[in-house]
Amino acid sequence: MISQFYILSPRGDTIINRDFRGDVARGTAEIFFRKVKFWTGDAPPIFNLDGINYIFVKRNGLYFVVTTAFNVSPSYTVEMLQRMTKVVKDFCGVLSEESIRKNFVLVYELLDEMLDFGYPQLTSTEQLKGCIHNEAIMTEQPSHLGTMRAAGIALPQLQINPKTVPSNAVHRPVGLTQGDPYASKGRKNEIFVDILERLTVVLNASGYVLNSCIDGSIQMKSYLSGSPELKLALNEDIVVGRQPGQAGSGGGHGGWYGVVVLDDCNFHEQVDLRDFDDHKILSFVPPDGEFVVMNYRITSDFRAPFRIFPQVEQITPYKLECVIKIRADIPEQNYGGNMVISCPMPKHTAFVTNELFPQTPMQSAEYVASDTKVVWNIKKFQGGAEHTLRCKITLSQPCSETIKKEIGPVSLTFEIPMYNVSNLQVRYLRISERHAAYNPYRWVRYVTQSSSYICRL
Amino acid sequence: MSDGRFFQTTKRGEIHELKEELHSANKDKKKEAVKKVIAAMTVGKDVSALFPDVVNCMQTSNIELKKLVYLYVINYAKAQPELAILAVNTFRKDSLDANPLIRALAVRTMGCIRLEQITEYLVEPLRRCCKDQDPYVRKTAAICIAKLYDISPELVEDQGFIDILKDMLSDGNPMVVANSVAALSEISESAGKNVLPMNENTISKLLAALNECTEWGQVFILDAIATHTPTSARDAESILERVTARLSHANAAVVMSAIKVVMRFLDRITNTETIRSLQRKLSPPLVTLLSAEPEIQYVALRNINLIVQRRPTILATEVKMFFCKYNDPVYVKMEKLDIMVRLASERNIDQILMELKEYATEVDVDFVRKSVRAIGRCAIKLDRAAERCINVLLDLIETRVNYVVQEAIVVIKDIFRKYPNRYESIISALCENLDSLDEPEAKASMIWIIGEYAERIDNADELLDSFLESFHDETPSVQLQILTATVKLFLKTPSSTQDMVTKVLKMSTEESENPDLRDRGYIYWRLLSSNPEATKQVVLADKPTISDDSYSLDSSVLDRLIDNIAMLSSVYHKLPEAFVTRLRTVQKGEYEDEEEEEEEEDKVARLRQEMKEGPAYESDEEDERDRDRDRDRDDESSGGEPTDLLGLDDTTTTTTPTAAAPTVPQQMVLNADQPGQKGQRGLKVAAALTRFRGSIVLQMTFGNMSQMPLSGWAIQFNKNPFGLAPGGPLQVQDLAPGQTATASLPVTPNQLLSNNPPAVPLILQVAVKTSLDVFYFNVPVDFGVLLVEDDSTDKDTFKDLWARIGEAKQVSVMAMAPQPLPSAQCIQTLAAVNIKLVAQRAADTFDSLYFSCTTTNRLVVLAEISLQKSGNGVKVVTRTEAGPLIPLFQAQVAKSLTLQRTG
Repeated sequence: MISQFYILSPRGDTIINRDFRGDVARGTAEIFFRKVKFWTGDAPPIFNLDGINYIFVKRNGLYFVVTTAFNVSPSYTVEMLQRMTKVVKDFCGVLSEESIRKNFVLVYELLDEMLDFGYPQLTSTEQLKGCIHNEAIMTEQPSHLGTMRAAGIALPQLQINPKTVPSNAVHRPVGLTQGDPYASKGRKNEIFVDILERLTVVLNASGYVLNSCIDGSIQMKSYLSGSPELKLALNEDIVVGRQPGQAGSGGGHGGWYGVVVLDDCNFHEQVDLRDFDDHKILSFVPPDGEFVVMNYRITSDFRAPFRIFPQVEQITPYKLECVIKIRADIPEQNYGGNMVISCPMPKHTAFVTNELFPQTPMQSAEYVASDTKVVWNIKKFQGGAEHTLRCKITLSQPCSETIKKEIGPVSLTFEIPMYNVSNLQVRYLRISERHAAYNPYRWVRYVTQSSSYICRL
Repeated sequence: MSDGRFFQTTKRGEIHELKEELHSANKDKKKEAVKKVIAAMTVGKDVSALFPDVVNCMQTSNIELKKLVYLYVINYAKAQPELAILAVNTFRKDSLDANPLIRALAVRTMGCIRLEQITEYLVEPLRRCCKDQDPYVRKTAAICIAKLYDISPELVEDQGFIDILKDMLSDGNPMVVANSVAALSEISESAGKNVLPMNENTISKLLAALNECTEWGQVFILDAIATHTPTSARDAESILERVTARLSHANAAVVMSAIKVVMRFLDRITNTETIRSLQRKLSPPLVTLLSAEPEIQYVALRNINLIVQRRPTILATEVKMFFCKYNDPVYVKMEKLDIMVRLASERNIDQILMELKEYATEVDVDFVRKSVRAIGRCAIKLDRAAERCINVLLDLIETRVNYVVQEAIVVIKDIFRKYPNRYESIISALCENLDSLDEPEAKASMIWIIGEYAERIDNADELLDSFLESFHDETPSVQLQILTATVKLFLKTPSSTQDMVTKVLKMSTEESENPDLRDRGYIYWRLLSSNPEATKQVVLADKPTISDDSYSLDSSVLDRLIDNIAMLSSVYHKLPEAFVTRLRTVQKGEYEDEEEEEEEEDKVARLRQEMKEGPAYESDEEDERDRDRDRDRDDESSGGEPTDLLGLDDTTTTTTPTAAAPTVPQQMVLNADQPGQKGQRGLKVAAALTRFRGSIVLQMTFGNMSQMPLSGWAIQFNKNPFGLAPGGPLQVQDLAPGQTATASLPVTPNQLLSNNPPAVPLILQVAVKTSLDVFYFNVPVDFGVLLVEDDSTDKDTFKDLWARIGEAKQVSVMAMAPQPLPSAQCIQTLAAVNIKLVAQRAADTFDSLYFSCTTTNRLVVLAEISLQKSGNGVKVVTRTEAGPLIPLFQAQVAKSLTLQRTG
């Protein structure tokens, strides 16, 4: 019951525009963009303006918008929009203004198959491949930074390892392409599995965990030929459902040690769960393109990968010293990549000088006056290591308790490749195809990411 | 080579160039040309002139090219209907193609051409495709039935397509099932009747389909099941057994719809153990939704807000999951705050306060303010935690961050109201911040506190005195508080404050232009001068206690919103009628009188509810009084004029002008976020123009959504074709923030003539002036309102006039009524809008009725309305000297008789 759909560029230009029902007046794209642009704060994803309901998601700077005159299900519409972004990305390789502009005929063809009269039709890349005739035109790989969010995950490729492939291997269209290097060599038979865990952690000044949560998901992207059935086996000691009373804190130890307790989980609809309860095995035929096999949520105790110890001291009435010490509580062979630590400074800060320990080229820190924030970058934070930042703050006003309180919270963003905190493991990924010759490449990676990782002062 | 270059700017002669390319013999060149045309179309250029040339390319076996042409045809069919018909033969041929993709494409595209003329060509291919051996074709056909219904409902019903759809529910293919459910749901909604009546049989069919269906279809099936009212607790339980499995679906929409079914059916279940176990099942999926993308989180949070109001135990132990993340978007944080307060209990309050205190130091000002307010709400909600909340607030006041302090003072005032004589020891801490207050609400709150506790503040008189100097610069809300506080102070310490009170009374009355302030000033003055003791009893009386339910929804509204979980209603917290604008062309036929009235009242209640939204957290005495006044008004209107005053019978519908009955459904004509002349926002207006006892009345409901009281009301109309002008001044009481008021304004015609012919739809442009700003809005005008009661046309004058106007000025229209229309009903309905029967005549197959009506400017419109005896066809022939009136007249007849035009 979607009336109109459009994709707008970050500047508000209509890139794609389709009217499905003719019951909402034209020109809503401009009305929408003006409203969202001038909203104080973030515009909520759903709003009603002059009787028209606008629902949108913003991905990679692009607005995917629908309008409707009905009392529709908003979660349904948002899910649909998200699905559309995924499909467009699967077919065009990357999700960017350039790729959509280059492939606009393809996108229209996709749209017509995905929505009919405003109702979702074929929404998986797999099904769509059968009835899409346009070929994708490849775009240049945008800079690493740009794809970071597009891919959901991006790993710094620091050394060439024959056992790894570049993370942009998944930035290929699934369908036919013009000038695709892979296509010429014949399609490579491979499947990518990501166990991605996003962490929400709140620490207090003494390093004690106040609140923590893992949002995990097992994602796949399949380039397998044929439709082989896969069996994905997880560790057998998974328990689903936290018993009431067995609260998040304190429940994870003792008899529960080593057991992975999921608060809740959900699965892709094609996953066969017959062997899940007894053997923790998921069976499915992977659809083409990117898809989520399973989502899970954990609130029981886990070891926070980074411990933060902040300390603020007053040296003179105009000078404060803030020391942030961070320890990586992960095995030595692992590391946190692209770590960014930021800490707000008092409004009356005149200037800040930073000292780093140990002094390596891997890290740098600067005071960003426009945001009154100290931003500290560590490219690679080795497991077991400890890094310290000492900020010497000079104030433009004599210090008070209130000014001191303006420092913080310290927030961290990072990625830890090949490590996950929950202990959820893939035991094996088997293909139940008989031929010995059929031996596709299986890439499995674990990634731990920060979602909201902060330490209060 | 890239398609991106299609977006480069176009030169002159481009159309001509494209035309040539479209006729090129080279297939690739042709395809490129069509692509260019579509690129131009996307960026909003008019390339409709190329229609014949593009259609020419359609007869091709190249499916890619065919698809492009189809895309173009859909877009322009409306603008070039004659040409679209030319393409019909190709469509029909394609619908017999050997390739299922082409068959489906043909039917899909034909359905998208929203033209009456195409329907007759569509029926046969569509019927064939419903039985096609390929599921892709069948699923396309199912949706196409919904498209056809949108163009011509009668055709779908006559041709038995609804039964075909019902059969398709048992199809072996999940997509076909999903689309059939979607089509049936949509037809039910636009028909206003359930074409898929919920009974045991349908339910079991749907439940079976639920397992077979795509995720999107599951949403529709669950939504359909949610409309079912289980016959017994057993029935509810057995359905829920099948539905709860959906709670662990990866698609949030499926989860939300399943939650709706569970929430609705829970009410039917009696066994407490079952209820508890079902509630336990709801909690994990609800929390899991918060791990999804922020957009889904937002939807989930708005729904959770409703769910915890109804069943607070569901998430009672999960409050931690609602703590804000550092990187949450603001709209998610704001919703989380609300839910934290709703879940606050004595067990978790310490945790919550610690969080809220942290939030109060963040950078986003709105979020910080709301956090501070949340602390106050916790204090009011939890008696035993109030002291801890106060301590946190005091800590925050010490930060001296201006907006934090002001917000804290506002909530502390509320806490004082709730717990009088408990926490006055902190007053001195508050007084230290007096100078930094610059927001009216904070100032007003502080002054209220000073007045209320004047006897405990040593220098209360000095503090108040400091406000007097700037008295005239203050906003009305602050002035009112200064006045009241000074009077309170005088009553408590009469000896030293006599001068002060005289000064304030003088300023409030003689020197103020604000009537509200003046009135209150005079009341105090007279009370004080006649009986100081009585004044004490009035002014220092005990105040009614307040509670934190001001943010909660009325239980009947909440009930209906719970039914609308997983719908937009649940995100806006508004009932669907309030924002769904899609017009229902076909009216509900089976309404009973009582139900209808109920709905009317509902609407009024809803409107009031809506008007009240916003800062309803007012705890002043005035508010209480207003609420009483509101209640009185409600009683009046519901017990008012009998609705059958105008001889309406039970077939009339809600949209027929139930004309003059005082509870006329008003339409929202001005939103609170529409700015006025000076860019100010905050006035909400709903209005309806009605005819009541022979004169025109403009009924309005005003809601003050701004931060300031509104006063100084005045109204003006723009010049208009019928010269409508206000028949008196606009009388509205002053409105405090969050209040609503209604007003009726007599309207006189033939005053402000614009000397322009009327446009369709007819609107009245209105300007309302208030102390805030001048606001402009349009009120829709029904033609019936402009028709006088004393139309004097009799049979003979009708005949004469009919002949004199002649056929040249005649307009005739064919239409369909939702069901066969008896002539008596037609006469009665039209009489209600002053369209009078002059004569009638019966023929074999139809009844002819002759009507006449006269407008306020004495123009006469004559009409012959023929009603088909064997069906629901209606023909309306109109003659009048005043041509521009014809569309207005026809619109009124169509609206009254709920006709749908067919030709």
